[in-house]
Amino acid sequence: MGIREAIAVALGTLRAHKLRSFLTLLGVIISVCTLVAVVAMVQGVNTYVGSKIARLGSNIFSVSQFSLNEMTNPVRFMRARETNPIIRYQDYQFLRANARLPRAIGAQTQRTGTVKHNGRSLDEVNISGVTPNVLGMSAFQVANGRFLAPTDEQRRAYVAFVGPDIVTHLFGGANPLGRHILVSGQQYEIIGVATAQGDVFGQSQDNFVMIPLRTYQKIYGNQDSITLDVQARGARLLPATMDEMEMLMRVRRHLSWNEKNNFGIIGSDALMTLWHTLTGAIASVMVGVSFVFLVVGGIVIMNIMLAAVTERTQEVGMRKAVGARRSDILWQFLVESAVLSTVGGLIGVLLAYLFTLAAGALTPIPFSLPLGAVVLAVVISTLVGLFFGVYPASKAARLTPIAALHSEV
Amino acid sequence: MATPTIHQPSATTATPYAGDREVVIRTENLWKIYQMGSEQVAALRGVNLQIYRNEYVAIMGPSGSGKSTLMNLIGCLDSPTRGEYWLSGHLVSALDDDELARIRNQEIGFVFQTFNLLPRTSALHNVELPLIYSGAPPAERTERAMAALQQVDLGSRVHHKPNELSGGQRQRVAIARALVNRPSIILADEPTGNLDSTTSNEIMALLEVLWERGNTIVLVTHEHDIAEHAHRVIHIRDGQVAGDTRTRRGDAVANRPPAPPA
Ligand SMILES: Nc1ncnc2c1ncn2[C@@H]1O[C@H](COP(=O)(O)OP(=O)(O)OP(=O)(O)O)[C@@H](O)[C@H]1O
Ligand SMILES: [Mg+2]
Repeated sequence: MGIREAIAVALGTLRAHKLRSFLTLLGVIISVCTLVAVVAMVQGVNTYVGSKIARLGSNIFSVSQFSLNEMTNPVRFMRARETNPIIRYQDYQFLRANARLPRAIGAQTQRTGTVKHNGRSLDEVNISGVTPNVLGMSAFQVANGRFLAPTDEQRRAYVAFVGPDIVTHLFGGANPLGRHILVSGQQYEIIGVATAQGDVFGQSQDNFVMIPLRTYQKIYGNQDSITLDVQARGARLLPATMDEMEMLMRVRRHLSWNEKNNFGIIGSDALMTLWHTLTGAIASVMVGVSFVFLVVGGIVIMNIMLAAVTERTQEVGMRKAVGARRSDILWQFLVESAVLSTVGGLIGVLLAYLFTLAAGALTPIPFSLPLGAVVLAVVISTLVGLFFGVYPASKAARLTPIAALHSEV
Repeated sequence: MATPTIHQPSATTATPYAGDREVVIRTENLWKIYQMGSEQVAALRGVNLQIYRNEYVAIMGPSGSGKSTLMNLIGCLDSPTRGEYWLSGHLVSALDDDELARIRNQEIGFVFQTFNLLPRTSALHNVELPLIYSGAPPAERTERAMAALQQVDLGSRVHHKPNELSGGQRQRVAIARALVNRPSIILADEPTGNLDSTTSNEIMALLEVLWERGNTIVLVTHEHDIAEHAHRVIHIRDGQVAGDTRTRRGDAVANRPPAPPA
């Protein structure tokens, strides 16, 4: 019996038992859907984050209290907390005084807090103390008014540059320039508003208040570590600039040649690498989960195929009575099981496609269905059908033709 | 040892035609014992038979005497517990599974009392089945299945499903399926058992045509007037051959001059 007949028989059976087939295939459908959707999601998010990080400026890196390596490993982080001093304003001044290669060095530190105005309040706002030159090094731009100026820094002025969320939530969208907000018991005059950036993973990027770094330290003390943003004079000079900053930091910290850095230098490529490790971990967990579904789905298929063999003992007997070989029957049930499972895989891909369409419409993330993942998922679902069909099919193949005579048409 | 395995030609084995004709079915001391839990049921107890090419044989006997069991062994649908069976000179017990499948496909056409059609597929596809397993190309398959259906007078019903056909029509589909691969032997186990007498006569007329074309026909029946269509009646009782007689039609055929060899 050729594959065309076998597939036709299989599809006929599927059509005859639509609901049962669908329920049977649920495991495969879910697993293929998760598999494809997760790959699509990771890919889309990676593209998105990649473009976000690129917007930060590829020639920018940070000097911070901890390296990425330390931040992503609990054990190393605990150790680094003992060894790595916080980065202080004096370090910032030292680097600015001694570095030759960077175009600019900015500094910032932050915490979350509540912002109030006129009885209204907004929680979980990112309160940052920044130097005026971070403007050119970050994603936001000035929509209204002006950014913090060097004079604000020198005067330690109580002025604030705010994200659009502050305007919508505390001022009902009205022009806030020249008006005041209350942060940690201190009044600040709003001097500028940033352009909207939207959400990243449901986390608003517009929910911030920026004040001069010196003002920040006057209010909150200087126990919060500062992060330095360093801009190189072009991509070619980036490695040399990073080396210079590392060297200067080691000099300032009096580290001898055999001591490790007790600070971190974080470039955007390192960030991207970190990001990939993170999404990779999420993806592998999801892929693991979907494989569990797949095995469960396979076992359900095996069960339903065993039931089909029992149900169709008479058919098998009749087929053998008119000349079907063992291999014909084996083939028939294997193909049926594989077709069943592949149809499940295709439905799963369809659902994943709908999911990416919906997710693409609801988020700024550019989702697309990765062809490789689709092909892989369908092939895997076929293989699952074949694998879990072997036992039922060989059971059917071993039936004797005489079985045909023991039931009715 | 309870059963002798030495070949002893049974006294009841009639040879209505002289030995110059080819023996297509020969059984020797055929036993079939079914195991029912701890109990053993001997359905056949040493059956010796010879059936010649182009014979038309009816098997009769009371219910439970072993007729169907014997037919299944002859049709290579089941294997005996003891004894030997030669089909066209081949020792069946020596054949492997694929060779048996080929025999069921090409040498033997089996017609069941309960038709045994695929319920959800058309008459045409049902008749095509043996051709699928013999590897005929699709175009030829359809053509031959159509021809077989026309032969049983169902040319206008090819796309009907079994539940859209009458009992007689279903049995004719089953006969078309049995003859589509042009087997030389047609085995029919109570082919008219579920049909009324008019429909039965139609089926018997079909078998008559097949016989005239040179087929060997073995049929099981309970009814004497059905058995009268055959030329020879083998009586089975308690799993043994209890009689082997020529019918009136058999006498008439025997007195006809022998057909020239093909
Ligand atoms: N699969 C089986 N398992 C156990 N016993 C069986 C089986 N098939 C048949 N038998 C027994 O073997 C004996 C012969 O059965 P068989 O079907 O050959 O009779 P039969 O002559 O065809 O009867 P009927 O005229 O009713 O069709 C019976 O006693 C029956 O109960
Ligand atoms: Mg019977």
